[in-house]
Amino acid sequence: MPDPSSQNKVPVMIGIGEYHVGSGPMMAIGLGSCIGLTIYDKDRHIGAMVHIMLPESSGRTDRPGKYADTAVLLLLKKLSDMGCQKGSLVVKMAGGACMFEYFGNNLNIGERNAEKVRAILADNRLRIASEEVGGKSGRTVAFYPDDGGKVTVRSADGVAHEI
Amino acid sequence: MDAMQELGNIGAAHAATTLSQMLSSPVEMSVPKIKVVDVAQLANYIGEESAALVVFELQGEIPHGGYIIFYISRKSAVYLTNTMLGLTDPDRPLNEMDESALLEVGNIMASAFLDATAELLGFIMLPSPPVLTIDMAHAAMQSLIAQMQEDIDEVMLFSTELFCAEHKIDSDIIMMPETSTLKTFVERLENLMKPS
Repeated sequence: MPDPSSQNKVPVMIGIGEYHVGSGPMMAIGLGSCIGLTIYDKDRHIGAMVHIMLPESSGRTDRPGKYADTAVLLLLKKLSDMGCQKGSLVVKMAGGACMFEYFGNNLNIGERNAEKVRAILADNRLRIASEEVGGKSGRTVAFYPDDGGKVTVRSADGVAHEI
Repeated sequence: MDAMQELGNIGAAHAATTLSQMLSSPVEMSVPKIKVVDVAQLANYIGEESAALVVFELQGEIPHGGYIIFYISRKSAVYLTNTMLGLTDPDRPLNEMDESALLEVGNIMASAFLDATAELLGFIMLPSPPVLTIDMAHAAMQSLIAQMQEDIDEVMLFSTELFCAEHKIDSDIIMMPETSTLKTFVERLENLMKPS
């Protein structure tokens, strides 16, 4: 049963490298090259979201949510621990922009983050249902597991739309 | 830490003077702050508000030394360029002329900041060509932190607020050095304070 008040609840703010699992709204603000990854269990109406900053953990384990390679596995583990079945999961992703081409020196971190997320998902036989990545603009991403797993993206001009 | 504070102070004071000259109005500055910010908490310092950021990479004797950023809210940016361009409408959209003006202001202020700190430290820091973005402030800062040389959990921000009451302009000048640059700062400052 979707909760009609979901949009009015104060969302859990997910900072860089942080994650959250639950049924209430959650949000990552101002994603530039970072990625907001959401995984929704359409049978249990719960979801998990992580705010990824870099593609590779290179062996670091203290902040698994910060890196694409460890963050995807982290969310899958948390959901699986709660009894979620892989076949019920809906994955969405937003972010991965390139706001400063000049300083990039060919290392487009946003794109590399998105590629790594896709690769790890593919390793786990999961596909992305919907995504909005790349471009040059920042995004704020909100996730509403108790409202059918709705994911909205907003840019600096302030208009939120569903992906 | 006191010496670091002084470093930020000297840089920001010079930047404030140049801003004041450009606007032909008094510019006040806050006490410079050094903030050590955990990346997970960045949103508590810099939110999703729309702002103009003129960004320079620190170059010179230390290549890829970090960043210096002239940060101005979108609203203040319009007041600033209106003052410079002799316009009055505070609600107009920013155009190419505003972008050139913001780049120019950023350029002059970053140079003033770095000249002053270079003189104190005795080594040369030069600003790269500027890059301007007008977008969510958090997204811009986050992107810069992600592309720093080291994978860091905390950043050190040297941040000073510059405001001009007459034209309702509120801005910040922020230096975000790489860890290696900070070490060099500390070494130089320690040497300076040794009795010769």
